[in-house]
Amino acid sequence: MTAKTILLVEDNQDDEELALLAFEESRVSNEIVVVRDGQEAIDYLFGTPANNERDARPLPQLILLDLKLPKVSGLDVLKRVRVEPRTRRLPVVILTSSREDEDLIRSYDLGANSYVRKPIEFAQFAEAIKQLQMYWLVLNESPRPEI
Amino acid sequence: MGAFAQSIVATIRQPLLILDDHSVVRTANPAFCREFGLDPLDVVDHVVFEIDDGRWNVPEFQRLVADVQAGGTFDRFELRDNGPVGKRVIMIDAWQVRDEHDAMVALLAIDDVTEDLVAQSERQRLRRELEVRVSERTAALETANNELEAFSYSVSHDLRAPLRAIDGFSAQLLRVYSSCLDERGQHYLRRVRAATQQMGQLIDDLLQLSQRSRETLLCESVDLTALSTSIADELALQEPNRRVSISVRPGMTGWGDPNLLKVVLQNLIGNAWKFTGAIDAATIEVGQSEHALGDAYFVRDNGAGFDMNHAEKLFSPFQRLHQQQQFPGNGIGLALVARIINRHGGRVWAEASPGRGATFYFTLPTVETP
Repeated sequence: MTAKTILLVEDNQDDEELALLAFEESRVSNEIVVVRDGQEAIDYLFGTPANNERDARPLPQLILLDLKLPKVSGLDVLKRVRVEPRTRRLPVVILTSSREDEDLIRSYDLGANSYVRKPIEFAQFAEAIKQLQMYWLVLNESPRPEI
Repeated sequence: MGAFAQSIVATIRQPLLILDDHSVVRTANPAFCREFGLDPLDVVDHVVFEIDDGRWNVPEFQRLVADVQAGGTFDRFELRDNGPVGKRVIMIDAWQVRDEHDAMVALLAIDDVTEDLVAQSERQRLRRELEVRVSERTAALETANNELEAFSYSVSHDLRAPLRAIDGFSAQLLRVYSSCLDERGQHYLRRVRAATQQMGQLIDDLLQLSQRSRETLLCESVDLTALSTSIADELALQEPNRRVSISVRPGMTGWGDPNLLKVVLQNLIGNAWKFTGAIDAATIEVGQSEHALGDAYFVRDNGAGFDMNHAEKLFSPFQRLHQQQQFPGNGIGLALVARIINRHGGRVWAEASPGRGATFYFTLPTVETP
C-alpha cells in the first residue's frame, strides 16, 4: 500500500516554508516529505549505493520538483525517475520560478506530467498548490507502481 | 597573312605569336613586343627559342611547340619562368592553323598572368582574414548571447524567489497576526505587498523584452482585424464597467510573427484603453492609412494624449510620460512594441497632443506572396 505522500524537492527554505503554509492553508492532509537537493531526492526514491539501495523509501504519490537544485538538477532527477521501472509512471509536477521556454520544453520532453510556475502572490501560490493536490491526489488515477 | 587577318592580329590586346614548322617566328603582334619589351626586329624571322636572350628556350616550352606542330591543342598551358624580369607566370593557349599558302603554322596566344595570380592570392588572404574575423566576432556574439541568457535565467528564477518570500510572509502576517498590528502597521504591510506585485510585473516585462528580442521570427500573413477585435473583447471583458466604443477596420492583414504582432496590438490597444480611462465617451480606432513611409496601421484614442516635445522618450524602456497615480505602468510596453516592429523591419511613431488623444502608427514589411 502506497502512502499518500507528496515528495517536495525544494532547496529554497523560504519557498519550502511557503509551500508547507500553502498546503496547510488548502487543508491538504497528505504527508509532505521535503528533500533539499537533487541527490537527496534520488536517495529517497532509489536508496543509496552504500546500503545497496535497500534504504529506498515507499514511493510518494506525487513529486513536486523544482528545477534549479544543488548537486543534481531537477531535470536530471526527472530523467532518472523516468528511466527506473519502479518510478517511470510516477506523476512528476515541475514547480519552478523559471519562465524560460527552454525549461518548459525540456521538462515535457523528459516526461514531466505538468509544469507550474510559482506565482509571486501568495494567494495564487496557495491556490495552485490546492489545485495540484486536488487533481493529482484526488481526481487523477495513477497506475500502480511496478515493484 | 591577309591584310584583314593581319590587322586583327595587330590590334588585339593579347600577345600573339605565329610560328612556322621550323619554330621560326612568322608574326609577333605589337601586344607581344610590348608585353615582353622586345623590338619586333629581334623577334620576327628568328627561331623562337633564340629570342629574348633565350628566355623561351626552356624544355617545357620546347615540348609545347613540338606538340602543337604535331597537331596538339593547348588550353591554358602554364609556363613558370624565372627570367630577367623576375618570377613570371605565363599562360599559353596554342593550336595549329593552316596559313594562306596551305602551310601549317602554330598560333600561340600568350598571357602574363603573374599579376592576376598575385591579386588572386591577395584576395584569398583577405578572405581568410575576413573569415577569421567573422568567426571571432561570431564567438564574441555567442558569448554575449549566452551571458544574456544566463542573466535572464537568473532574473527569472533568482529574483522572483525572494519576492515570493516577501509577499508570502507579509500575507501571513496580515492574515494571522493582524490583531497585533494597528491600522498603520497593516497599511505598511499592504504597501509592501503592492510593491512586491509591481516588482514581479517589472521582472516579467523585462524578461519578455529580452526574450522577444532573441526569439526567431516566424512570419506569416496575420489577420490584424481579428487579432485587434479579440484583444478589444478581452479588455471589455476584464473591465465590463467601462464604456468604450472600439472600431476596427475590416480586412486588415499584415506580414509578421503572429505571437509578436499580438504583443504589439495588446500593448497599443491596451494603452489606448488605459489612457481613455478618465474619458466619458472613450473611442478607440484601429485602422490603416497611407503615409510617406508606406501603408501604416494605427491605433487611435481620444484619451489623455501627451506633449509631442517628449515624444522621443516614448519608445525607450522605463520612460513614462504620466504619473504613476494617474496611469500605472512601468514604461516597458512601448519599448517592446518598438523592438518588435524594428525586428520586423518596420517603423513605429506617434502623434498626440495633451488631452486630445494619441495615435500610434506602425508599418510592416510588404511581402510578395510566393
